[in-house]
Amino acid sequence: MKFPLLKSLAVGAVALFAAGSVSAETLRVGMECTYAPFNYRTADGELAGYDVDVAKGVAEIIGADLEFVCQQWDGMIPALLANKFDLIVASMSITDTRKEKIDFSGPYRDSVGRLIGKADADWKLFDDSGAPIAENFNGLRVGLERASTYENWFNAKLPGAEIVLYDGSEPLYLDLQNGRVDMIMTNPMKAQLRFLSKEAGNKFGFVSPAISEVEFFGIGVGIGLRQGQDELRERLSAAIRDLINNGSLKEYALKIFPFQIHNDEWGKG
Amino acid sequence: MDAVTGWWDDYFWGSMIVLQVFFFSLLLMVLFGLIGAAAKLSDNRLAQKIAGAYTVIFRGTPEILVILLLYFGSAITLTAIAQMFDPDIKFIDVPPMWAGTIAIALIVGSYATETFRGAFLGVKPGSIEAARALGMSNLQTFIYIRIPEMWRLALPPFGNHMLSLIKDTALISIIGLNETFFVAKQAIGTTGEPFTMYIVVGCIYLAFSTIITLSVMGMEKFGARTGEGAR
Repeated sequence: MKFPLLKSLAVGAVALFAAGSVSAETLRVGMECTYAPFNYRTADGELAGYDVDVAKGVAEIIGADLEFVCQQWDGMIPALLANKFDLIVASMSITDTRKEKIDFSGPYRDSVGRLIGKADADWKLFDDSGAPIAENFNGLRVGLERASTYENWFNAKLPGAEIVLYDGSEPLYLDLQNGRVDMIMTNPMKAQLRFLSKEAGNKFGFVSPAISEVEFFGIGVGIGLRQGQDELRERLSAAIRDLINNGSLKEYALKIFPFQIHNDEWGKG
Repeated sequence: MDAVTGWWDDYFWGSMIVLQVFFFSLLLMVLFGLIGAAAKLSDNRLAQKIAGAYTVIFRGTPEILVILLLYFGSAITLTAIAQMFDPDIKFIDVPPMWAGTIAIALIVGSYATETFRGAFLGVKPGSIEAARALGMSNLQTFIYIRIPEMWRLALPPFGNHMLSLIKDTALISIIGLNETFFVAKQAIGTTGEPFTMYIVVGCIYLAFSTIITLSVMGMEKFGARTGEGAR
């Protein structure tokens, strides 16, 4: 040992900052904690929502303890890579771009987007087959969440639209009401529950079919983890398949929505 | 305001975190400011250069960037350093509370460096000469002459720095610290009432900054009463 003093200092530093050290039994889970109904904190201080249920369900199957860490969306992947937590269970869609940085378990939720705009306006944005008519989007101001899959889809498919980026979904709803954007593209399940069904959203409605192109939106939402942990990834995927097959996933969804939000095929693995 | 019911305790604990960050970053800010000012006023070229680089970098970059870099960068850097000595170490973390506190203190400390430097330069040469004539040592001159004259000069801009400090604490919600602004975002996520929740945050910060403004006013009065004008 060349540097006994320095080494003991380094070990001391580890002891000081021991909050971050990882044991095999405890998995730290990163999520936004502001993305109702998927992950949010209730007034009682409890974390709740679909993602939280999935995380707890998976942890029970693989026999791990959970520790939740709240992290803003656009720092989610950097925080995972900087080892601030071990898993992302935050409604993150599995996409090829993200896979360059991190690994994903199998999917546990559908990943779709839908446009929301004034309900009474006569938009002619999609043809009968459900494909977007690119020229009719020219000059339209569309609000999107920063670092979301929707942004990539718009850039590739509808470059004529003017994109306005926001942090989080609540500002999207606000500026749609304010008229700063003509429409927004967002998660339809969340928007229905948080916005369209409320008084503030009663003049607005869906102005597109559900868009789910695997190339952009991925096959679904999965659990993110750092690369090189294939054994953990396989355990997570197997646990999700169990949750699908024993009906738990459906049960989690029915707490919030009148329908399930996953594909039963995923359970076959 | 019904929506806020049930979130009051979260706002309270959030405010405690704001106060905690404010208190520790205030101490560090004064320390950084004094060291920076001393370095800038010293005869040592290297110290001058380092202090110069410090003020240029931290006054010239967005605060949010410094916070993010310190939070994400520190963990990666510390882990890399520790692994050089012990490859078994998986990960060293800097808790967000300390990353945020140090980041804010570094930023506002760079402004305080300039304030303190100006204030030290404002100490009257006559006072220093008088101290020398009385046979005071350098240290005695510093403690009994420079500091008492300097803090009175530095106080008005220092009040501004304290206000920057308290408001910058709202920025650290981006690294996941559970302070009032983050509480508001969580409450909005659940209740869908952005304006109510943000107004509560505004009122909390207004209360803090009013206390700061009043105490600075009080100290200015005290300084004027006991300073040279009163002699």
